[in-house]
Amino acid sequence: MSAAPMLEVNGLTKRFGGLVAVKNLSFSISPGEILGLIGPNGSGKSTAMKSVMGVERPTAGSVKLDGIELSGLPSHRIARMGVGLVFQHSRPLARQTVLENIKVALLPDKLTRLFADKDVDARARAIAERVGLGGVIDRRPPTLAFADLRRLELAKAVARSPKLVLVDEPFAGLTASEVADFSNLIREFRDDGRAVLLVDHNVKSVSALVDRVLAMYLGEKIAEGRATEVMQNETVRRVYLGGALVSTARPEASFKDVTPALQVDNVGVLYGKAQALQDVSLHVHEGEFVSVVGLNGAGKTTLFNAISGLVPYSGAVKWAGRNLAGGTAAQIARDGIVQCPETRELFGDMTVRENLELGGNALSDAERGERLEWLFGLFPILKSRQPQLARTLSGGEQQMLAIARALMMKPKLLILDEPTLGLAPVILETLSKALDRLRETTKITVLLGEQNVTFALPHADRVYVLDHAKIVWEGPPDRFEAEAAANYL
Amino acid sequence: MLFWQILIDGFAISALYALGATGFTLIFGVSGVLNLSHGAIMVGAAVAAWAAAGEFGTGPYMGALIGILAGLVLAFATYFIAVRPIQRSRAIAESEKEIFILTATLLWGIIIQEAIAYLFTNNAKTVLPIVEGVTTVFGVRTPRNEYFTAVICWVAIGLLWFLVNRTRRGKSVMAASMNPRGVTLLGIELSSIYLTVWAIYGLLAGVAGILLGMFLGVSSYSVGPLTASAFSIVVLGGLGSVSGSLIAAYVVGYLETGTAYLISPAYRTIPALLLLVVVMYLRPQGLFGRR
Amino acid sequence: MPAFVSSRLFWIGALTVIVALVLPTYVSGYVLGLLTVAYYTAVFAMSWDLLFGFAGEVNFGPTFLIGVGAYTAGILDAHYSPGLSIWICIAAGALAAVVGGVILALPALRVSGPYFGLTTLVAVLMLQNFIVVAAGLTGGEIGLAVPDVISIDAKTNYWIALGFMLVSGAILFGLSRSAIGLILQASGQDKIQAGALGFNVTKHKLAAFVVSAFFSGLAGALMVFYMGTASVSTFVDVGVGVQIIIAAVLGGRRTVIGAAIGAIFLIGMGELLRPLGELATLIVSVIALLVILFFPDGFLGIIRGGAKA
Repeated sequence: MSAAPMLEVNGLTKRFGGLVAVKNLSFSISPGEILGLIGPNGSGKSTAMKSVMGVERPTAGSVKLDGIELSGLPSHRIARMGVGLVFQHSRPLARQTVLENIKVALLPDKLTRLFADKDVDARARAIAERVGLGGVIDRRPPTLAFADLRRLELAKAVARSPKLVLVDEPFAGLTASEVADFSNLIREFRDDGRAVLLVDHNVKSVSALVDRVLAMYLGEKIAEGRATEVMQNETVRRVYLGGALVSTARPEASFKDVTPALQVDNVGVLYGKAQALQDVSLHVHEGEFVSVVGLNGAGKTTLFNAISGLVPYSGAVKWAGRNLAGGTAAQIARDGIVQCPETRELFGDMTVRENLELGGNALSDAERGERLEWLFGLFPILKSRQPQLARTLSGGEQQMLAIARALMMKPKLLILDEPTLGLAPVILETLSKALDRLRETTKITVLLGEQNVTFALPHADRVYVLDHAKIVWEGPPDRFEAEAAANYL
Repeated sequence: MLFWQILIDGFAISALYALGATGFTLIFGVSGVLNLSHGAIMVGAAVAAWAAAGEFGTGPYMGALIGILAGLVLAFATYFIAVRPIQRSRAIAESEKEIFILTATLLWGIIIQEAIAYLFTNNAKTVLPIVEGVTTVFGVRTPRNEYFTAVICWVAIGLLWFLVNRTRRGKSVMAASMNPRGVTLLGIELSSIYLTVWAIYGLLAGVAGILLGMFLGVSSYSVGPLTASAFSIVVLGGLGSVSGSLIAAYVVGYLETGTAYLISPAYRTIPALLLLVVVMYLRPQGLFGRR
Repeated sequence: MPAFVSSRLFWIGALTVIVALVLPTYVSGYVLGLLTVAYYTAVFAMSWDLLFGFAGEVNFGPTFLIGVGAYTAGILDAHYSPGLSIWICIAAGALAAVVGGVILALPALRVSGPYFGLTTLVAVLMLQNFIVVAAGLTGGEIGLAVPDVISIDAKTNYWIALGFMLVSGAILFGLSRSAIGLILQASGQDKIQAGALGFNVTKHKLAAFVVSAFFSGLAGALMVFYMGTASVSTFVDVGVGVQIIIAAVLGGRRTVIGAAIGAIFLIGMGELLRPLGELATLIVSVIALLVILFFPDGFLGIIRGGAKA
């Protein structure tokens, strides 16, 4: 790492309307170095990567490659100057073979060259061999395994021998042995003297590979250094784990129902060819508060969407002993399993009041009025916001409205997916108190998905840890610190 | 005199345009479907009313009712034959469904149009008007039917507004146009919302078609221009924005009427098209589009 | 299996060409006239498929490009004949269509999704109105009669149309299989990724527009001098554009050749069913709708599906 930096990013800022996605970010990468850029969803890491590639045009700041300014250039020019991007979601040409797909990346960007150079074929074959696609070179992408599709993306990105390789979530959806293969490939890039930028949700998945890590949160750099240092960093731990852990759990034996209200048995979900959830089993008793903790990308949202009938899955989901397969998502919601999703899904151009009333669409007028009053007690701020359009609310208020709207449905089981996502600490406090009151004053059953352990644990009676599409730990919250926290980050 | 003439004629025509375009834009807003058999459904309703009232002698009221029913039936047929099979198809990639639905609704429109031509010939048909006679306002002699058309259009639009803003069902339709997934999460079946919207659409298109048949007359040749005018109004107003289409309908209606009276009927549609081109280049989401 | 599929396609293609070559010996001038129109329409549909199937751009206004080509050639001939050779008029028509294509594409490529389609549709409506209004120049609604024709001999016209279709088909097909065709497909599939791979997506799409416009305009101009007249209802009307799109989808998108098959099928069927009168269009539309609903990959998809099984 003695060489001068190859990529120098200085004061990079990207705004989308009023939202500042990346704020004054600076970093550099030297030739032969791997930098991990990490941060939870919405932290701005992907936007930062896209700004380097020119897919997004930076609002301010400079991006220099070997001293040449890239900022403001279109992405095809930046690619020509030696930057390659490995996309996470690929859409290869389905009717061409793997070889032809790689050849596309080697074609000249000229209209006058109808046919490719003769050496293109040999070069494409060499690249395929190198990334481990040699055996499937004549197959078409739809017939490939997921890992091979990712290899194809890798092959395309490095086809032109870029000096700088950007990799978006290198290991998402891969098995352990495939992760090892990919790590070796990425190390080879480094050994060739290329600079590599890995973008991922958390330090853990890239720690073995990176030379340095830069952690982002809410658009800003919060820590930089060696992987172990960053993992120990106070701010990083607070973002991922929150502060000190407290618990007021009720023992599982205190729930009297013999058959748990919700049973998830060996559920698996495939997104295309990526395994998003693998053999997941869990249960929730009536009246219980269960938290599923896991980093972004671990599969929490997928699990909840499977329970809500929003994605096809294998295995079984049983509600009050009855198999839910075959019902529509709306039917499941009417049966009492109500999800408040990470994306909130509010009706932006309707008022707060209208949003809430739609939540109570199945109730009689009297019941609805009662329910509204009760919710305004739980979230007083919403009462004063009634005539306001939902999209004009602040993030925290929108989250409260989303929870309140779900509660309007009188759920038997409330599924809360990442309620703390992108919210300031003050708001977390308010939300936390509302959940406490909910738990103390009603008999509601809750399944909470969280990355922020400090938010998830105090309310929980029981905790599951989800990691890489699998449940890796289950137990009461007071044992989490001792048994699971070390492996969490 | 000419001023009042333009004001009155323009108002009636614009009201008709507005009614025709409202259902069209509502469907786009809720399910993202641009229904290119729109003109055929309007003409189908008008011809059914004409045939019932005139050929089979049911009288104008019963004829109108049968016409509206025909509009409803045709709208559902469009949905079940040309739209839903494509939406649910696994053989067609998501990104290509748009062009498939456009092509299918277009073909379906041609099928309706040709069936009408085959059964009832290509001749222009004027639906037996419910209101007859002529009245003079501000020195302009206007058929009473013209006022009747404007009144019915606005009553229908008013009813739609009431339905969408004041009833539970209507509100869930509105909500679905903003966020379909949110509606599902609240336990409301999207499939039933779609049926509701196509029913509303069928009624509106039916009424608009019959009024058009009474006011200006229709033939199977009106199919294309009717679809095109609804299309331009909706684009001008902003795809999926109901209030936008209402305003755009008046802009287009008055531009056309004004041009026809002041310059020449031959130039009728040109200023509106020019406006459309300017809007497309400067503000492709339409004057009032949300996107 | 690709070798087998392409060989099967190849044999079907070769057989079709042979049939087309011997046909003039056996059939009447009327049928030849019909096929002449079908061949020109096939070029329209193939040009459209290059834009939609490969560049991923849904152009609702193929008749804008065709109309500009046809009317430019027709007007030049009507005003300067016999001083101006019709071949110069035809070349000018193709050139005008290219210019029109660039004017249409530059702003249209900035917008995406349904708005691109809408822009192209509006262009057609504008052209249609312009022709009707500028009746002194264009012949208006009655149509423009051109003093010259390529030939009055049905066979000569047939040979020209067939040759033109084969040559344009070969060029368009070759282009779709060339390096540029691959880049176009990659851009149509995923614009952002194509950019990140180093391709100037706008440049390639513009080129596709230019090629599509060139062949559309050229075919339009040639057809004017076959028919001896240019009218809105044959060259510009939205309905004509619709028929072209249906032909391309019916034959099989992204195949170029399928578009030609679809066009010839549509016109042939329309003629076969002509004795049924009004029912003819109805039946053709029903068949087309059924194919789209049940065989979304069109005729070529059916043939390929059969080959795979």
